[in-house]
Amino acid sequence: MKWLQFFTPVASINWEEANQLVADHPDGDVLFLDVRQPQEYAAGHLPGAKLLPLGDLENRLGELAREKPIVIY
Amino acid sequence: MLAGKGFEKIYNLSGGIKAWDKEVAVGSEDTGLHLFDRVLSGEEAITIGFGLEMGLRDFYLAMQKRVVREATKALFSKLADIEILHQEQLVQLYGEITGTQLSVADFAEKIAEPAMEGGLTTEEYLQLYKTDLDSESEVLSLAMAIEAQALDLYLRAAEKSTEAGSERVLRRIAAEERSHIARLSHYIDHQQDLI
Repeated sequence: MKWLQFFTPVASINWEEANQLVADHPDGDVLFLDVRQPQEYAAGHLPGAKLLPLGDLENRLGELAREKPIVIY
Repeated sequence: MLAGKGFEKIYNLSGGIKAWDKEVAVGSEDTGLHLFDRVLSGEEAITIGFGLEMGLRDFYLAMQKRVVREATKALFSKLADIEILHQEQLVQLYGEITGTQLSVADFAEKIAEPAMEGGLTTEEYLQLYKTDLDSESEVLSLAMAIEAQALDLYLRAAEKSTEAGSERVLRRIAAEERSHIARLSHYIDHQQDLI
C-alpha cells in the first residue's frame, strides 16, 4: 500500500522544539539524520547526527530504528 | 520518504542546519571513531574518554600561555579546571562499573596516548576555526566547538557500539559533554563585557 506514505503527516519542528525533544529523551534516543551530501556534513553538522544522503536513504532504511524519534535536516 | 514505512516519530527540522542555534560539529562521519575501534567494554570506553578529556585540558592550558589578556588567561584556566572535574567524574564512573577506586593521577597513568577531543590536533583546530585568541567570545565559541566535537564523537561511538555496557558509558559521557556545552553557553549569556 503505497498511498500511506503520502498521507502520513510529518511534523515540522523548529530548533527550540528539537532541543526540547532531546531534553525529553535523556537516554539519547533522538536521532538527528543528516540527509545532505558528505562534503556538507563534513563542513558542519549537528553533534551525533547520522549521515545518510538522500540518494542512499531508500536502500539504507534498515540502519534506522523505526520506533525512535528521528529529526531530519 | 520515511513516513509510512513504519517510522513512527519523524520530524523535519524547519530551516535545516542554518536555523540550528546550538553547537555544530565539523568532520567526516568517521572522524575520531578510530579511537573507539577496539572499544570492547565500558571500562575501555572510559579510559579513552579520559584521554580525550586530558587532551582538552592540555589544549586549554596551551592556549592559556599563548594569549595576552589576563581575563582570557583566567578564562582558559577556568575551562582547564572544568576538565579536571570531568576527569574526576569519569574516574568515578569507572569505579561504579569496575568496583576499583582510583585517583585521577593513577588513572591518568593508564593513558598511553593522550588524544585531542574529536581526534584533531591543537594546530588543526586553530587552523580550522581561525580563532582570535584575544577575543573572549571567540575563545568561548572555540571551546563550545571542541566540546561539540566531543559530544558528536561520543554519540556516534555509542550509536556504533555493539556492547550494552560500553554504549551506556558512552551515552553517559555524552550527557556530560552536553552539560559542559550548556555551562559554556550559560557563561557566554551572562558575560556583559565579552569582546
